[in-house]
Amino acid sequence: MKPTEQSPGNHNTSAQGAGAGTMKPGFHNTDGQGIAGHGSFFQPTNLSSADAAKATEWVRKQVDRRTLDLGERMDDIREHMWELEKDGQIIVHRVGDEHEPKMVKTLFGWDKKIPTKQLWHHKSCGQCGNIPGYPTSLLWFMNKFGYEPGKDYLDETDQTSCTAWNYHGSGIGNVESLAAVFLRNFHQAYVSGKQHGFELGHFYPLVHCGTSFGNYKEIRKYLIESAELREKVTKILGKLGRLVDGKLVIPEEIVHYSEWVHVMRNRIASELQTIDMSNIRVTMHVACHYYKMVHEDAIYDAETLNGNRTAIGTAIAEALGAQVIDYSTWYDCCGFGFRHIISEREFTRSFTMDRKIKVARQEANADVMIGNDTGCITTMDKNQWIGKAHGQNYQVPIMADVQLAALACGADPFKIVQLQWHASPCEELVEKMGIDWNKAKGNFEKYLKEVEQGNIEYLYNPELALGGKA
Amino acid sequence: MATYAEMREIYEDIRNDFRYDHELNGCLNCGICTATCPAAHFYDFSPREIVQLLWTENVEQIYDAMQEKIWACAQCMTCAARCPFKNSPGGLIAIMREVSIKHGMQSAKDVLRPFGRVMLKLITTGNQLSPDMIQPDHFPDWGPNIQKVEGDLKTLRKAIPVRTLQTTDTAWEVSLKTSVEMYTIWEMTGVMDSLQIVDENLFDVIEDFIDEKREDYNDWLETQEDRKDD
Repeated sequence: MKPTEQSPGNHNTSAQGAGAGTMKPGFHNTDGQGIAGHGSFFQPTNLSSADAAKATEWVRKQVDRRTLDLGERMDDIREHMWELEKDGQIIVHRVGDEHEPKMVKTLFGWDKKIPTKQLWHHKSCGQCGNIPGYPTSLLWFMNKFGYEPGKDYLDETDQTSCTAWNYHGSGIGNVESLAAVFLRNFHQAYVSGKQHGFELGHFYPLVHCGTSFGNYKEIRKYLIESAELREKVTKILGKLGRLVDGKLVIPEEIVHYSEWVHVMRNRIASELQTIDMSNIRVTMHVACHYYKMVHEDAIYDAETLNGNRTAIGTAIAEALGAQVIDYSTWYDCCGFGFRHIISEREFTRSFTMDRKIKVARQEANADVMIGNDTGCITTMDKNQWIGKAHGQNYQVPIMADVQLAALACGADPFKIVQLQWHASPCEELVEKMGIDWNKAKGNFEKYLKEVEQGNIEYLYNPELALGGKA
Repeated sequence: MATYAEMREIYEDIRNDFRYDHELNGCLNCGICTATCPAAHFYDFSPREIVQLLWTENVEQIYDAMQEKIWACAQCMTCAARCPFKNSPGGLIAIMREVSIKHGMQSAKDVLRPFGRVMLKLITTGNQLSPDMIQPDHFPDWGPNIQKVEGDLKTLRKAIPVRTLQTTDTAWEVSLKTSVEMYTIWEMTGVMDSLQIVDENLFDVIEDFIDEKREDYNDWLETQEDRKDD
């Protein structure tokens, strides 16, 4: 066929010459040939039914979302880690049987081990500074499962943030500084068990922050790929006394707290849940840095959202029996922007109102929007009031997946879930769940008097944080 | 205005970053990155444009884009997740920001001035924000109900049932030894140099703070030695 005969645009509305299999109504013929409006170069295959079924199956396999991307051609960085360890260049901090791991699938169907015990809490500056109900709800769950502080988990002061919030906001910092901070913190996690009488590697790092999670995975990739970067940071870590046998310690898996919640969701629902959630309409906002950075490592589950979107957050809400409501801007960022939330707030609040809060309210009529990261919760929680200035009077309670789960399991909305730090109308959700907000608030205000007297209730012996005994 | 040679040097610095070849693999101008970009909703900014400028080595317009446009990016990395070529426009922008600081571009200094409070907190404490930064007078647009229980910050923080979080000037308590280790990282990786380029005054304040903390740490080490001797 001559190229000119393929020229599109000369539409044949009479469907004449459509070839074998007359054109179905609704389809558009382009130039009088071909099938289903795809153009004359598309010709019927005349396959037998059996061959057609076989061909269709092959095509379906090819376009399955998990293989359409580069999954088969993409490197699994973890395989290269084992090679480097074999060469004596690094030590891999393993997820061992003692960490009681659960296996999950990631975007391309790869396996990922999620440790459930002996966890080193790597805190988030945004959560601890602004949404402390994140870490407290998480520790509360661990206690509820009978975990022993100082053995089954450790929360200590020898850690800095990943420093990536600043990097993404300002450009101050670089791969080398981010890598050194990553390796310093994870080295501490590796050796932290020693002062409590355990072997190296006893505690496995559980990263609370979504940006830390994304940043650490990206940096791990660069470290594995670049001998020059490894050489540079080895000098720094050596100076800090943060090498083991002269080698860098790199974790087998980088694990986010929401992944722990995810693999524990059925136990949370079956062993701890006390409140019926069937009348609660939940919308989910997954942190961009959870699944858009090093996206091959995010958890996907064929049973959640058909495996087309990460299962994090949605799966725990479903396990609790809540109604998870989809909305059209699910994939959108919250508008946080790192520097924007501090110094370009017009952008942050406009985006979060237009693309998240308004949509969750109008499309989903949500009782709550849950998230799994720091910046998203802060952005969506704190920027609702100002919407009124532009006639956008939309409000939705905002909290983390783990906070909602803790409420469903009977945690105190103030002492544990720490909703007093939230600006969005969380009281409406709490009341709808059948919890008396005013009573809980009154009890907490009484408790504050006790706190002033030094009578503080702790989730673990505070001496543990400073290296003391449990 | 920079000379062509200076603009070329800036481009070469971007090009020579070892991440560059990870982040840029080609571009068909499909625009998926821009279609999905939150910053493109509100700013004169297009990640597709940035990628195209780099892909075509348009050094003059790259220089222009570095004046303002690169600072619009929210670093959400949605573009990177969507790009059929597996480019990361957001990652390229991170490199461009670093290079703009290295070259002391005035636009970088202007953009980062209001962010100084966060940089001060981060570089001195290892936390990027603290409870005492999130007060109603700092964020009037967050409304009058910024929190739901009245009370002084110190008491409310003491009511968090976790020792490490009972702080007001850091998000969590960071041990002195940890902070001192972090200062070494800043110095050995050139972060302090970048800071000095961007804001000389802030740099001086932070240097003083670091000196003080190091002295505190050395004093503490001496006390430990004395205890051993006793």
